[in-house]
Parts: sequence; C-alpha cells; structure tokens
Amino acid sequence: MAEDGTYEARVFAVETRFQRMARRPGGVPREQAIEQAWAQVEENKPGFDDWVNKELQSLTDVVASARPGANKEWAEMAVVHSRRLRDVGTTMGFELLTFVADSLCDVLDAIAAGAEYSMETIACHVDALFLARQRAFRGVKPDQVPELTSGLRRIVDQVNTSPG
Amino acid sequence: MASPTINLRDLVVLIADSSSYLSMIAHGILRGFGTSKVLEVRSSVSVLQTLSAQKIDILLCDARLPPHGGLTLTRAIRRKIDNENRMMPILIMTSDTRENTIKQARDAGANMVLAKPMSPASLYDRLAWIALTPRQFVDAPTYFGPDRRFKIEGYPGGVGRRKGDHEIVVAEEAGPALAQDDIDNLFSAARFGKD
Repeated sequence: MAEDGTYEARVFAVETRFQRMARRPGGVPREQAIEQAWAQVEENKPGFDDWVNKELQSLTDVVASARPGANKEWAEMAVVHSRRLRDVGTTMGFELLTFVADSLCDVLDAIAAGAEYSMETIACHVDALFLARQRAFRGVKPDQVPELTSGLRRIVDQVNTSPG
Repeated sequence: MASPTINLRDLVVLIADSSSYLSMIAHGILRGFGTSKVLEVRSSVSVLQTLSAQKIDILLCDARLPPHGGLTLTRAIRRKIDNENRMMPILIMTSDTRENTIKQARDAGANMVLAKPMSPASLYDRLAWIALTPRQFVDAPTYFGPDRRFKIEGYPGGVGRRKGDHEIVVAEEAGPALAQDDIDNLFSAARFGKD
C-alpha cells in the first residue's frame, strides 16, 4: 500500500518447478521429441475411425431429435460433438474434417444464439462430415475441394445473417 | 542456433479437457516429449480437487472446460492466495482464436495460448518458451499472474517454423480467427501500447 492509500502493483521474479526441472540436462532434443510425438499420434490412428464413427453417430442422433419450433438444446448438444471432431481432425491428418466441423460449429453456435435455420443446412454438414472422414480424404486440404468449401461457407453466411 | 531442449521427465502435467480423445492425443504427444507423469481430468471441479491433493507442474486447460470454462478456472487458481499451485504455468488450449478471446486468456493469467487442433511442434515450442523464458509475476488489485508486458522475440534457440516441421494447415478463415503466431504476439501487446 502506498502512502496515498493506493495499492501499488508488486512485481516479482518467479522460478517455478516446471522451469527449474525443464532446464535440467538430459532432455529430449526438439526434433527428436517432435518425431517421437508424431509416432505416438500414429499409434492412435487405428482407433481414430471408430472414435469418429461414434461421434458422428451421436451427432446424427442429436440432429434427428431436433423438431421445428423446439428449444435449441439440441444445437448445444450437437456442437459438443462437432467441436470434438474439429479439435482433433487436423492433428490426425484429416484437415477437411476439421474444416467441415468448424463450419458446422459456426452454424450451431448461430442457431443456439437464435438464428433461423433450415435442417437442410445441418444435413449438408453432416453429409460432408461423413465424406471428409473417409480415408481417401486424409491429407486433403480444404482448398483442394473448393466446391465443397465455398458451398459450406455460403450456407454459414446465410445462417449468420438470419436473425431468429 | 541450436534447437532448445527441455527435460520433462518427472514433471507432473495435468490435462484438463472434456474430450477424452483429445486428452489421449495430448497425452501421447507429451509421452513423445519424454513426460512420464500425465494426469487427465474432464472438469474444472476435478482440476481444483487434483490441485488440492498434489503438486502439479503445469496445467494444459481447454478454454471451454466445463462447467464454467478454462479462463474462469485460471482466474480462480491465480486469485486463491493459499494455493501452492497459484504460480503454476497454465497453457490454455482453444479453437476459438479470435483476438478478444486470446486477450481474455492473457488477462485471466494464462502463460500462453495453444490453438487447437494442436501439433507436436506447436505444443513443444510453447512448453519450451514457458520453461526457458523467465517471466516476472504481477500482484495487483485487478490481476495476479505472469507479467503481461513482455515481448516474444522468437522462441528459445530460434525455434518456430522450420523447413523440417510437420505442416499443419487448417482451412483459410474469412473471419477474424488468429494464427498461432498472432496469438503469441498478443501476449506482448501491453508494453508496446497496442492494448
């Protein structure tokens, strides 16, 4: 506390255990660490298909439960599954899956916030997710399928400009 | 310049994310880095329970961690005076890379923000930066956390994008989402009058 009664910010040096320990000799060099990490990611890939299938099935079930005029809880549930797909797609080599899921997240967030929508909008995205999860699309970047990406962007723009 | 090396063996890392699959991926990446002690939780309540039971060396926390979000949790950890983990490094993971969100994470007391989907290189570089770049703490009426006035002048040892890095390219965004480099730069804003 300063003499005039004001509270002065205190600035002080900190060395956390994380910093102290991480600086020890004997660590894994960056390039080797990254290579080993990618190897760990590769080990998880056999289970990725099953996981995506479960998430897509859950998403489909939630979307199927939506009824015109019903509350928007379904959208809040659906966006959870869509976020999960978005957050790991690229890491697992499916950038297009991340792109489509990200687009669907935008749509669902807008719906949850009150935007008007058509179920066709959701169905288009779910179909695109089923397409993007196929092994043939592994490594495919969104700009390699411009018809798909521009179409989804137009759909998202329509939803975002449609107040509920 | 040589690449930095960090030693994560015997450090306790806590991953807090509602997605068990993403946590498994992050867990695997950390194992690749040499980390042997990784814990996973799915909610901020579990984070607080874990922190009260044992010492955690670094927290990797999803910005949307249920029920109240990772930023609220970060503020709670930083504000709790009798918490021995109060100054623990906190790395916020988020797919929402809008500028406002990044600034909120910084102002909540996060050490760094990592954009999802993550890559091993992006995680390693942020861990190395936290480990190898000394940063003061600030205790003020409205903020407790790492000094927000600092400048990233490249990652330790000059790491960053290299020719050998695995490339991760998410679709081009028409909106205001930020790239990881822009996110990092936002953590340098205050001293230079940009914020």
